[in-house]
Amino acid sequence: MWMVNSRSSSGARLVAVACFALLLVALVLLPNQIQGLLHYLDGPVGHVVSVPLEAIASFDAGIVARWEQYVALQGVWEENQQLRKEIEWLRGQNSQLRESAAATERLTALLQFKEQALPTMVAAQVIGRDATNRYRAIILNKGESDGIMPDMGVITPAGVVGRVVKTTGSSSVVLLVTDPNNAIAGLIQRTRDEGIVEGTQQGLAKLKYIPLLSTLRDGDRVVTSGLVGGFPRGLAIGTITHIDKQEGALFLSAELLPEVDVGRVEEVLVIQSSYGQATKVAGGVDLPGKPLP
Amino acid sequence: MKFLLYLILVLLLVPTQTTLLPYLSVWGIKPDLGLVAAACIGLFAGEMDGLLVGLAIGWALSLFSAGELWVSLLTDGGVGLLAGFLGRQVSQVTFATLGVGVLLVSLASGLLAIVNFKNVDSAQMWWIVESIVLPQACFDGLVGAGLYWLLSQRFDVTRLRTE
Repeated sequence: MWMVNSRSSSGARLVAVACFALLLVALVLLPNQIQGLLHYLDGPVGHVVSVPLEAIASFDAGIVARWEQYVALQGVWEENQQLRKEIEWLRGQNSQLRESAAATERLTALLQFKEQALPTMVAAQVIGRDATNRYRAIILNKGESDGIMPDMGVITPAGVVGRVVKTTGSSSVVLLVTDPNNAIAGLIQRTRDEGIVEGTQQGLAKLKYIPLLSTLRDGDRVVTSGLVGGFPRGLAIGTITHIDKQEGALFLSAELLPEVDVGRVEEVLVIQSSYGQATKVAGGVDLPGKPLP
Repeated sequence: MKFLLYLILVLLLVPTQTTLLPYLSVWGIKPDLGLVAAACIGLFAGEMDGLLVGLAIGWALSLFSAGELWVSLLTDGGVGLLAGFLGRQVSQVTFATLGVGVLLVSLASGLLAIVNFKNVDSAQMWWIVESIVLPQACFDGLVGAGLYWLLSQRFDVTRLRTE
């Protein structure tokens, strides 16, 4: 038994306590230096740990794909009929929106607005969830070597997913829009009132600091304001489901239903540069709606 | 040999915790295998091994979590060290005592982590304790007890600890 002979002697015990005490003191007195020192090693360690992680994630994805393609097909016919109806409705709406877009283009040209560059994005796959229960975060299979840096915005074609908070060479951690530690500048699309979108403990989102005189109502859509953070203006965040007016409060707040079901997201796009500062990055994609590889 | 086993443990722990465990979560809560592993190593292999492996596990898991690095280092390393010490004080460890021990250290590490949260008022903190920290501590305790029971079926765990 390898463990039998490895019980610590009293000397080793003292060394262990001394090491732990030293680490504790170092983390309290020099938190940034110690974490900065460890960050140099994060890259190579992250690469090594990512190998089994990606292997197991791809195995897991294979099983899920088999299940969804062959086993879980109950109710597909009904869903198909429903989707056909939705396509018909969306075709009609698309035609109206094309008309609006053409009118907007004409007016933009007339007013000589500066043309905005589209953001550069990189597609990534979700290979895991946060290692703890205390944060709502996902792990992506792309990291610093793919040009992903902390604070970059993460979206799907449906809307905002979250923000990159940590990267290693080949992976990155994205704090979801539903996490209470996340804050994104938001805008109510109809009234143009701005606020801050934060996650809630219950896994939804909340728009805070809305002006008291705002005429918002249930069902209003909230989009990114593009003022701060890694998101361009106009990406869908969620829909207002409940308005909270407290007596004597200086601002209103509203509960949001996030546009993206962050619990089921499998592929995402990481925004490497916002509107107006697009630079071509190797492997990047230029259009928000471009299909994933 | 021992180093290799520890390395494999750390490498396998990360994908298990981040990719496979979400399927086994109950009401969105999954056990912290890193904490359970650090506690078991501290108990069976002593304080030094418990501390070093706990630190390695804490560091590796923090690379794949939005949480702070120092919290992972302190909790997992501390649990390994503490388990080593407590293992010497308890004459006979059973799966029940190990389960209760892991429950208590998991509770302590969860409370330490939420103290570090910013912009959390007392009502939210209580919600986190009763909805996340406490259920996770129970889950960790069950997993620790189950693991010890499995080990006791395969090995002579009393001899493993006392020799």
